Amino acid sequence: MIKISNITKQYPTVTALDNISLTVNKQEFFGLLGPNGAGKTTLMNLLVGYLNPDQGEIHIAGEKVTQDGLHTRKNIGLVPQSLALYDDLSAEDNLDIFGSFYHIEKRLLRERIKEKLESVQLYERRKDKVKTFSGGMKRRLNLVASMLHDPPILLCDEPTVGIDPQSRNAIFDYLLMLNEKGKTIVYTTHYMEEAERLCKRIAIIDFGKIIAEGTIDELIEKLPYDETILITKNQTTIGKIDLLKSFGSVIDEDDHFQLKPNAGFQLSKFFESLEKNTISYKFVELHKPTLESYFLHLTGRRLRD
Amino acid sequence: MKTILQLIRKDYKLFWSDRRAVTMTFIIPIALIIIWGAVFGNLNKGGTATKLHIAFLNNSSSPIGKKIERVLDSSKTFVLIKAYKDENGIRVPFDTSSIQNFVRKGSVSAALVIPADALSDTSFGLKLKFYYDPKNDLEMQMIDGMLQKTIMTEIPDIFMQGMKNQATKFLGLDSGKAFNNEIAKTVGKYFKIDPKWITNPPVDSMFSMMGGSDSSKNSFFQNILQLDKVQLVGQDIANPWATRSVGGWAMMFLLFTLTATSSALFEEKKSGVVLRLLASPISRVQILWSKYLYNMSLGFIQLLILFTAGCLLYQIDIFSNFFNLVLIIIAAATACTAFGMLLSSISRTAGQANGYGMFLILAMSSIGGAWFPTSFMPDFIQTISKFTIVYWSMDGILQVLWRGAGIFDILPHIGILIGIAVLITSISIWQFKKGHVF
Repeated sequence: MIKISNITKQYPTVTALDNISLTVNKQEFFGLLGPNGAGKTTLMNLLVGYLNPDQGEIHIAGEKVTQDGLHTRKNIGLVPQSLALYDDLSAEDNLDIFGSFYHIEKRLLRERIKEKLESVQLYERRKDKVKTFSGGMKRRLNLVASMLHDPPILLCDEPTVGIDPQSRNAIFDYLLMLNEKGKTIVYTTHYMEEAERLCKRIAIIDFGKIIAEGTIDELIEKLPYDETILITKNQTTIGKIDLLKSFGSVIDEDDHFQLKPNAGFQLSKFFESLEKNTISYKFVELHKPTLESYFLHLTGRRLRD
Repeated sequence: MKTILQLIRKDYKLFWSDRRAVTMTFIIPIALIIIWGAVFGNLNKGGTATKLHIAFLNNSSSPIGKKIERVLDSSKTFVLIKAYKDENGIRVPFDTSSIQNFVRKGSVSAALVIPADALSDTSFGLKLKFYYDPKNDLEMQMIDGMLQKTIMTEIPDIFMQGMKNQATKFLGLDSGKAFNNEIAKTVGKYFKIDPKWITNPPVDSMFSMMGGSDSSKNSFFQNILQLDKVQLVGQDIANPWATRSVGGWAMMFLLFTLTATSSALFEEKKSGVVLRLLASPISRVQILWSKYLYNMSLGFIQLLILFTAGCLLYQIDIFSNFFNLVLIIIAAATACTAFGMLLSSISRTAGQANGYGMFLILAMSSIGGAWFPTSFMPDFIQTISKFTIVYWSMDGILQVLWRGAGIFDILPHIGILIGIAVLITSISIWQFKKGHVF
């Protein structure tokens, strides 16, 4: 559905994307995970044809994406990171304006506006000016404003930035429902929880390069350990943490130590050591590795650093 | 106290980091002071920054007529235009009819004619014809005042010569001279005055003899200098002041409006709406054209409403030449919109666009003649003024409302305004292509 081939995009002082290649399949929920400034938004802007790449090509549904090629944009709905809405107009007027650019027949557009507003629980507020909406309501409106032409592909650029958990969940449910109905979704985020919850397959991007790609299970399996061990910081553990370093590398974090086990790590021997060194079990937690662990493993940094 | 100083330091740091604020605070006032200084500084010195052009025709063969012509020719205040160019570009000296047409066409604001009977044998008074077009009241008052002052300064000499000539004419050359000398001797003997002083009195002492103060002197000269003033244009206009000034003010407000609406493009970019638009099947060119046409139509509507308000409130007659008014308004709105688009294309932020806009609008309005006549300005500013939208728009509107100009009269104005619009729009498109808005 989407084929990105050897894309490079250079800004005056930085290489935003460096020879990136990706493929997103039809009806896939694809995640692009990376810290701020990794190049996610630049890639989204290239996908909609807002920018032209310096090198490489992008094809959507077989058609090459360019700044001048307007036809491919009918297949795409972009949910921008910013709230791209007219604050002084009503929700209904906003949708009417954005829908009109797709030359949808008037009656059909009215029906779709009603349907979309109902689907994000904003129909009752349709006549209210957007500036009176909460952040979550604006985010939901921002989302459906990209859906009026019923595009097969939805590009969501961090669509849940700065909103409450309830609105975030509502947006997640809505996107999952759209994906189930057959929409292809590309979702950028720097929240690994979002990627884990929504995406079937992800690519991790850092400093303009794709550093990993696959399903979440595939990526985590690449880790040289099955779990990480968190040890709560207190007087006892701070004094004795060096005694545990033979089991793996220890990272000093805010309120705990994180132990990444060495190859051949045996849990039974680790607990024996705790007992021998009189470190209570209650200070120790076993964690299944996450995308965060994988990113940390790959880059030595946390996603939100 | 330390905290207050730190807070002040913070405000200065913020101020200096805001280029627009710095520009607005220092550069704009300095630029405007320079422009105003060039105009008013010279006015206060008792003249204008440049010479005032008036049409001139001397139909009198009298020495007085020749003297007035010579005086005005050598004046630092006036430039006398004595001929016009016909359709073939040949210079043709004025006659009584063509000099009036010259004023009617708006080539100059005033014409001075010394008629054949300027100083008739039976009168001590000097009669001059003064044709004028008060399209600019301030300029007209200046020309009128300066003209009278210049002639008045020289007139006593001319007047005395005239009196002597009259005596000579009646008595014959030798008898007249002898008569004058005898009279002078007799008067000198009884009043103990040098007879030479009587035959050739200094001008100022003549007024003292008459017991005249400055005002009575002026009154005396007013009686001997009779300017027969004939208004050639705008006699029937109900409210000359409003009709003359509406164009300048309208243009200034139009530019402010269009600058504000053009900078809205930056707000749309900031909010992400531009990205949303460009993610839909809309091209950059379409966005620019829509902005252009929107601003142009808004400018047109604004001007139309402004003129209609002028019509209702100040009896400005917009309907007797409505079609031509609409044409010049469209041309002005087109050029002003191009100006707004240029600001968008060269700026990085809405604040910057508004800052540049403020400076350019105030500069164009003052240089272009919206606040005071361009004829008062130094020659180089008058030349620059012809590159401003305000000058051509204002003059076009004035031609239509004041002179009742037809389509062929305002074609140059329309052509120049559209030409400016095309030029500025080309620059804007070039800037947009490599610019920051998209």
